[in-house]
Amino acid sequence: MAATTGTRPAAAPVEEPSGAARGRRPIAWYAYLALLPLLVVLALFQYYPALNGMVRSFWDWNPGQVSTFVGLDNYAKMLEDDIWWRSFRNLGYIFVFGIVSWVIPLVAAELLITLRSQRAQFVYRTLLILPMAFPGVVTALVWSFMYHPNNGVINRALTAVGLEGLTRNWVGDPSYALWSLLFIGFPFIAGLPFLIFYSTLQNIPREIFEAAALDGVGRIRRFWTVDLPLMARQVRLLFFLAVIGTLQYGFMAYIVTSGGPDNSTMVPVLRMINVAFQGQDWGYAATLSTTLFVFTLVLSAVVVFVRRSDSSSTNVRGLR
Amino acid sequence: MSRQWGVKTALTILVAVGLFPYLFMLTTSVKDNLQFSENYWVPVLPFHWENYATAWEQIQPYLLASVIVAAAAIVLIVVLSLVAGFVLARYAFPGRTFFFVVIAALMMVPSISSLIPLFVMMRDFDLLNTYPVLIIPHVAGGVVIGTILMKTFIEGIPQELFDAARVDGAGGARLFLSIMTPLSLPVIGTVALITINGVWNDFFWPLLTITENELRTVSVGLLFFQGQSGTEYGPMFAGYLLASVPLLVLFTFLSKYFLAGVQGGLPGSH
Repeated sequence: MAATTGTRPAAAPVEEPSGAARGRRPIAWYAYLALLPLLVVLALFQYYPALNGMVRSFWDWNPGQVSTFVGLDNYAKMLEDDIWWRSFRNLGYIFVFGIVSWVIPLVAAELLITLRSQRAQFVYRTLLILPMAFPGVVTALVWSFMYHPNNGVINRALTAVGLEGLTRNWVGDPSYALWSLLFIGFPFIAGLPFLIFYSTLQNIPREIFEAAALDGVGRIRRFWTVDLPLMARQVRLLFFLAVIGTLQYGFMAYIVTSGGPDNSTMVPVLRMINVAFQGQDWGYAATLSTTLFVFTLVLSAVVVFVRRSDSSSTNVRGLR
Repeated sequence: MSRQWGVKTALTILVAVGLFPYLFMLTTSVKDNLQFSENYWVPVLPFHWENYATAWEQIQPYLLASVIVAAAAIVLIVVLSLVAGFVLARYAFPGRTFFFVVIAALMMVPSISSLIPLFVMMRDFDLLNTYPVLIIPHVAGGVVIGTILMKTFIEGIPQELFDAARVDGAGGARLFLSIMTPLSLPVIGTVALITINGVWNDFFWPLLTITENELRTVSVGLLFFQGQSGTEYGPMFAGYLLASVPLLVLFTFLSKYFLAGVQGGLPGSH
């Protein structure tokens, strides 16, 4: 983001002429006053809760009642919490599947870029990303209807083609629930990866493709030797964004499976919420929250680092 | 291959698969239960438009709550971050970089990680089941990206405009209101769309802080709406579609800003 353009402030057109500097002194004090409301909001609703959560992770936290300091007890409890670590294993599956599923948006972007008619490209692009315009909750609810055991589209379709034997209670069976969750949004085109693949391919100068064609490079070979290397930066960026995005994964699982059956689709965010709101164990929930936060922070720092070394990339700065 | 039929066929299949659940929702939304069980796959006449009236009855308070939350959040975010962006971009004062880092560092703090402590804080303030509890997190999150976008944008406005106005005797407040705010409309639009998208997709926070039905936002309301209508699939899907209309309209008419908004938010929020 703009934060990564570290050299910018120096080049910013701040009041330059020396003559103006005299009259600026009093205005600079207004600057602090003007920033104050924003800083108060951030201190109260961003910094204080985040820090309070970390501090409270060392307490047996009973909001409104007596809390006792318990040191690392909550963290010891976390290390032995099977559900918590199992939820990270599920997250691993979600992450790997998410990365592998980029193949489809990648192929779609390659197909789209092949179209010669700009108008057709625009129409197909719009239709491909249209599902992004639906609220995430609607997508989750529609897909949970698709998986419905009696009236769901998938079981009905299987019955209609005479494959009754394959019908399942998709989200109710521990061996299929996670798979059902993963396939929500199939064919996975409506999302950030597709937009980034497409705009990167669009920004490759046509001459390169033409030169490759003249040299007798085929479509597949060009993908491996030209398109993919030119997209490497964006793919790397998407990769790290996916790591961070996966750590926040939660509401799909809440709506479609509630983390069940038998915790087979439990994810860390859901575990944290369950501990706090069903278990009323606020100190332990703060511990889980802090752990998740530290993981995210470390990985976010990596993203910023990648972004910074990314200054010559074609469009990522324009995107965010 | 000259008309690229192969490529077009492949893309059409991808489009069809991707849109199928939504098209199924559309055709089922105008069926009654008998039509649903007898003609599961195909649209049939007569269309039961009254499903939409039924759904509207139940969905309308949720939409109203979401609109109020989004509007209030947008106003507060724009005011706070425009002022901060202007000051950070145009004034030199000790600690300017420090304050910007303090603000921008919050980009790395995911909202989910302060969910628990923020909830306890709101409960201590006795704010559960009120509009402020819904609005505050959107403002606290939105001002971060807002200030960064505004600062970057304002740095791009030519200094000559400000100098000319200053020569004509305009003070800081006048510069802000008459020059900068009108010029910043595109970035204000982007921030507004990020906020609307955020409000329509926010799930856990309204789920946990709101128990009164009238204050539920669409995302959470739909979940309870499903429970109420039981097996009436027509009105249920009609309700889902009505809840999607605002985002669909924005996507159709402000596609460019909408996509900027989607990409501005962390992808993980979906």
